Amino acid sequence: MPARLDKDHELIQKAQQGDAHAFGDLYECHAPIIFRYLFAHLDSRMDAEDLTGEVFLKAWQSLPKYTERGIPFLAFLFRIARNVLVDHYRQSNRQESKSPDELDGYKEEGNSETAEMIGNQMEHQKILRVLATLRPDYQTVLTLRFISELSPEETALVMKRSVGAIRVLQHRALATLRQEIEKTG
Amino acid sequence: MNLDRRIDKILEINLPAIRDGQETIDAIIEKYPQYAGALRPRLEVILWLVNAKKDLEPRQGYISSSRQYMEHQFESIQPRGFWRRAISRYTPQRWVFNIVAPIIVFLLLALVINSAILTARLSIPGDPFYSMKLLTEDVRLALTFNQVDKTDLYIQFSRERTTEFVELVLEGNYELLPLAATRLETEIIASLRSLNEVPIQNQATEQPMIMQLRDTLTNEILMLNMLKGSSPPTAYSGIELAIQAAQSGLMALR
Repeated sequence: MPARLDKDHELIQKAQQGDAHAFGDLYECHAPIIFRYLFAHLDSRMDAEDLTGEVFLKAWQSLPKYTERGIPFLAFLFRIARNVLVDHYRQSNRQESKSPDELDGYKEEGNSETAEMIGNQMEHQKILRVLATLRPDYQTVLTLRFISELSPEETALVMKRSVGAIRVLQHRALATLRQEIEKTG
Repeated sequence: MNLDRRIDKILEINLPAIRDGQETIDAIIEKYPQYAGALRPRLEVILWLVNAKKDLEPRQGYISSSRQYMEHQFESIQPRGFWRRAISRYTPQRWVFNIVAPIIVFLLLALVINSAILTARLSIPGDPFYSMKLLTEDVRLALTFNQVDKTDLYIQFSRERTTEFVELVLEGNYELLPLAATRLETEIIASLRSLNEVPIQNQATEQPMIMQLRDTLTNEILMLNMLKGSSPPTAYSGIELAIQAAQSGLMALR
């Protein structure tokens, strides 16, 4: 992690001087993590892609603010991602999961529906359904820790809690998720 | 180290291997057989989440292909500092409205409150603003911490009650006279009590205050007696009550 932090620091300094290419490097490095977090809360892959872009645009615009706060860049991105997600829910009023038939913009794009893609969609829906049964803070801690692969320290910064509290929350969230998985089979 | 913390530590150590698919659940449990019962359910859930992660990955090549588009976007929108963001949040007209509207509301509110206080000051018993006048007096008393100043205020209020009494008689509101007389009595008693509470080190200022109260009460008795002479008999009882209150105060002062 320190190597990643050092690299981030260097790129952020360049980006703050207006180097869009440096911020592009940051995008390429962190976008998959942000995407997974967003996609774990959304039923559409296209929405997750759009929102990932929105998160980075907002981060780019807020770079001076980031320096003032002095938190790791990834935690800064996740805070923006959480706000973007809340705004998206408010705007589209789509908290409820939809059936696989209604999903994913690829159908609208006219792409071929391969069996693999449909299988992925079904699996994604199953994940969303199970995660949706959990309390919001359980969902967040599990998504950040195991899907976005954040460390307990980074998760603590994003969720504005202590590392100890994150460990307890994770412990309880795992237990609850197990019960849910057993219920749904 | 308790069991939960120990389990957490084991999970933390083995998490990278689970993510990379280098270790199976059974292989990890074999390393910690004493914790097998507690470890297995957690490891199974973690494995479920790790597998779920695979279904949540971005499309192949999406990130690198979208990077170029994003860089164009970054170039077209330069980062903005706090002040620039705050300023550009609203149009200049909206900013003027945002600043001017609260000032106007504040000024109007101040004008209304000030007018109400002024009207209340001129009110007499029976007026709608009279209770506000009494409230203002109570606030002034509550905010006066010096005993000498407090006594001075009580004497002022006692004079004010007499003025109100006279106005009631002149306006012919005789039914309110007993109540006004009681208020005058209360104010005189409060003045006397406050005078007694002046600290010893302020004895030099006490004497002029006694003189002031004596003059006030003497004038009140004189004024009320003159009023009695020029008022109809229906007002006598009320005026008599006020005279008695002032006379009792004067006697107590002596």
